[in-house]
Amino acid sequence: MAMPVAPVLRYLRTLRRFWGTALATQLEYQLNALIELLAMAGNLAGSLLLLWLFHRQGVALGGWSWNAVLVVLGAYTFLDGLTSTLLRPNLSRIVNHVQEGTLDFVLLKPIDSQFWLSLRTISPAGLPEMGLGVVLMLWAARRELGALPPAPLLAAAVLLLAAAVILYALWFVLAATSIWFVKTWNATEVLRAALTAGRYPVSAYPAGLRLLFTLVLPVAFLTTVPAEALLGRLTPLTALTSLLLACGALVISRAFWAFALRFYTSASS
Amino acid sequence: MATVMARGLRKTFRVADKQPGLAGTLRHLVHRRWRSVQAVREVSFSIEAGEVVGFLGPNGAGKTTTLKLLSGLIHPSGGELAVAGHRPFRRERAFLESITLVMGQKQQLIWDLPPLDSLRVNAAVYGIPEREARRRIAELAEMLELGEELTRPVRKLSLGQRMKAELMAALLHRPQMLFLDEPTLGLDINAQARVRQFLADYNRRTGATVLLTSHYMADITALCPRVLLIHEGRLFHDGALAELSERLAPWRQVRLELARPLSAAQLAPYGEIEALEGCEVRLAIPRERLTATITRLLAQLPVLDLEVSDPPIEELIGRLFRQGSLEPAPR
Amino acid sequence: MSFLPPLRVARTLWTVQFAYMAEYRAEIALWALSGVLPFIMFGLWSAAAADGSAAAHGSVAGGGGPLLGLSAAEFARYFVCAFVARQFSVVWVVWQFEEDALEGRLSPYLLQPLHPLWRYVAAHLAEQATRLPFALVIASGFFLLQPQAFAWPAPGRLLLGVLSVGLAFAIHFLLQSLIATLCFWSERASALERLFYVPYVFLSGLVAPLQAFPPELQRLSLHTPFPYLIGFPAQVLAGMPMGGEAPFSLAGGLAAMVLWLLLLVPALLLLWRAGVRRYSAMGA
Repeated sequence: MAMPVAPVLRYLRTLRRFWGTALATQLEYQLNALIELLAMAGNLAGSLLLLWLFHRQGVALGGWSWNAVLVVLGAYTFLDGLTSTLLRPNLSRIVNHVQEGTLDFVLLKPIDSQFWLSLRTISPAGLPEMGLGVVLMLWAARRELGALPPAPLLAAAVLLLAAAVILYALWFVLAATSIWFVKTWNATEVLRAALTAGRYPVSAYPAGLRLLFTLVLPVAFLTTVPAEALLGRLTPLTALTSLLLACGALVISRAFWAFALRFYTSASS
Repeated sequence: MATVMARGLRKTFRVADKQPGLAGTLRHLVHRRWRSVQAVREVSFSIEAGEVVGFLGPNGAGKTTTLKLLSGLIHPSGGELAVAGHRPFRRERAFLESITLVMGQKQQLIWDLPPLDSLRVNAAVYGIPEREARRRIAELAEMLELGEELTRPVRKLSLGQRMKAELMAALLHRPQMLFLDEPTLGLDINAQARVRQFLADYNRRTGATVLLTSHYMADITALCPRVLLIHEGRLFHDGALAELSERLAPWRQVRLELARPLSAAQLAPYGEIEALEGCEVRLAIPRERLTATITRLLAQLPVLDLEVSDPPIEELIGRLFRQGSLEPAPR
Repeated sequence: MSFLPPLRVARTLWTVQFAYMAEYRAEIALWALSGVLPFIMFGLWSAAAADGSAAAHGSVAGGGGPLLGLSAAEFARYFVCAFVARQFSVVWVVWQFEEDALEGRLSPYLLQPLHPLWRYVAAHLAEQATRLPFALVIASGFFLLQPQAFAWPAPGRLLLGVLSVGLAFAIHFLLQSLIATLCFWSERASALERLFYVPYVFLSGLVAPLQAFPPELQRLSLHTPFPYLIGFPAQVLAGMPMGGEAPFSLAGGLAAMVLWLLLLVPALLLLWRAGVRRYSAMGA
C-alpha cells in the first residue's frame, strides 16, 4: 500500500496512548482480572469435559480425532480471547457514544472514526485466553501430526488472522446498527450465542446446520478452516474463499459505517 | 475573509410519524408517514476572525443544530457554509485541527483516569509532539489555575474543575475556531466567572474566534459584544446586545418619587403605569417620546426624584426563553 | 417489614412491570433468541447419534445401541425442553440490582414497606410473560424442522414439568440474589456471576443430558443445585424415564428442589440483612 509514513506513525502513536490509558484504567480493577482468568479456566475445562463426554461414548465429532477436535477448540479459545480483549470492550461502547452524544467528539477528531471506535481500549484480561488458544492449537496439532511443518503453520496463522477479521467485521456491523436502534446489545448476544457453535468442527453438525454455519453465519471459516490449515487438510479453494471473505467483510464494514454515519450526521438534532 | 460564512443555511429533518399502540406500530411498519421539521431556515451571517459572538435563542430554536452544522457533524440541507475556509461536513483533517467543540452536558475526558491521560491521548490524536504538548498543558493549566487536579481521577473532580479540564482537552491543539455549547452549564457562580474570564483571556491571547451559546445572560453580557438571536430556525437579530434590548423592548422605565400621591387617571396621560404605590410610581414610556414626556412630567407634576432605566436584558431574554415568543413585549 | 407482599401489591407490581417489559418486547425477543445453545448442542448430539460412529468404535456405555440409549427424536425433545426450561428460569437480577445500587435507586426502595427483592421477582415474572410468545414461536419453529420429535407430554408430566420449571426459577433467582446482595460490599458483584455461569452451563444439562456424564460426575453434580435448574425440568417435560437407571427420580428431584429452597431462603434473608446493615453504616 502506498501510504505516507507520517500518518501511519501518528496512528501507531495514538494506539500506544489508547492502550496505555486503557491499561491504567484496568489496573484499578485487579479483582476483575482475576475473575476473568478463573472464568476462562472454567470455560476451557468445561469445553474439554464436553468433548470428553462425546469421546468416551466413542463418538468422533464429524469424524475428527480427539487431538484434531482440540485444534478447533484452540482456535475458538483464541477468538474468544480476542473478543474479550478488543471486540467487546470497544464495540459495546458505540451504543453509549450514540446514546450520550459523545460520538460527536469522536467524529470531530482528525482521525479515522472506525479506527477510534474499534481500537480505543484494550482489556488485558483476555490476553491469556488468546495465548492459551494458540498453545492448545499447536500442542494438539503436534500430537496429531507428530511434527509441525512450517507451511501449514504459516497458512494457519494467515487464516486465523482472516478469521479474526471476519469476526471483527460481523461484530462491528452489528454494533454500528446502534446508529438506528439504540439497544443492539441483545443482538450481539444472539451473535455471541450462535458463534459458540464454532467450538466444534462444522462437519460435526447435521447437513442443515452445516449449511447455515458456512453460508449464513461464517462459523466454519472462524475455527474449522484455520484448524484444517494447521492439520494440513485444507484445499487451496477453501483457503482462498476464506481470504476473500475476510477482505470482503472488512470492506463491507467500512462501507457500512460510512453509510450509517450518513444517517447519524443528517438525522441527529 | 470571514472565518464563518453562512448564506441561506437550511436544515430539514425528516421525522417518522407514528401513532401509539399496536395498530399504530403495524401501520408504521407497512406505510411510514414522514413529516419534515425545519430546524434551520435560510440563516445568513458571517463572523470575522477573532470575534466573540453569543448565540441566543429559546430551547429548540435551532441553536444546537446550527452549531452542529458549523462544526461539520451534520450536513446542511441547503445554502452555503464555509468555516475557516473549509466546507465543514467534509470533516477534512485540516478543518478538524482548526476547530473545537465543547459541550457543557457531555464530556470527552476518561472518567476513571486523571485528565492528564486524556490530554496525552488528544496530543497523540492531533499529532502534537511530546514536548510541545507538555508546554501547552503547562500554559493552559496556568491560565485555568489547575494544578494537582490534573493528576487526580476525573471522577473525583468537582464540576467546575472538570469543566476546566474539558476546556484544556478541547484547546490543546490550539484551534482557531471555538464552538461552545453551554460551557458553564451547572457551574456555581464563582466557577462560571472563572471560565468566562479564561475564555476572554484565551480570545485575547490567541485571537481565536468564539461562538458560544449559554443560558446564563451573564456569560453573554460579559463576553459577547455581538449576539445572534435565532428563533424557530430563523435569524431574528444580528448585532450588539444593546440593540437587541431596544428591539425587544422599545420603551424605557421611568421611576418617579412624588411629593404627594396622585391617582392613576392623573398619571395615565404620560405613559403606561407599571407600578403605583403611594408616592412611588413606575412608568413605561416609548423611547421616541422619552425626552418630550420627561419634560412634561417635570413641568406638570410634583416630582421629587426621577430615574430612567432600561428594562434589564436578563428579564427580557428570560421572558423570551420562557414564552418562546419574539413579539416585542406588550405595552 | 413483612416479608410477603399482600395480593393487591403483588398484582399491581406485576401489571406495572408487564407494561414496562412490553415496551422492550423487541429486545426480549432477541434475548429469547440468544438462548439457542440447546439447539446447537442438539445438532451435535443428533448428528453423533445418527452417525453411528459410536457403535462402530464400540461404545463404552451401551455396546452398540443408540447413543446414551436415546434416539435422535429423544435428543431433540430433550433439548427443546431444555430450551423452554431455560427461557422460563433465566434470571438477571444481579445486573438490575447492581445498576440500581450504583445509580442510587436502592435507597428509596429500602425505605418502602416492601422487601425490595419482590420488585425484582415481579419484573422477572413480567418479563417471562412477555417472552412467552417468542419462546413458543421458536419452539414451534424447531418442531416444524424436526416433526418426528414432537409428542404431547402426558398431562401429569406437563403439570409436574411446569411446576419444576417454576421451582427451577425460584432456586436460580435465590442463588443469583445471593450474588447480587454482595453488591452491598463490592461495587462489581456481577463479575462473580461470570464464575457462577461456568458450572451453570456445563453441569445444568444445557449442553448434554445428565445421562452423558460418567456416574461419579453425575453423583457429584446432583449434590449441586445446577442439574435442577435445567436438566431435571427438561427431563420431566420431555417425558424421559425417571427412577431406576435414570439420573433423576420424580419424587427425589422435586424433594431436592424443595430442600434447596428451604436452604436458600433463610440464607438470602440473613445475608440481605447483614448487607443492609453495612449499607446503612456506610451512610449511603
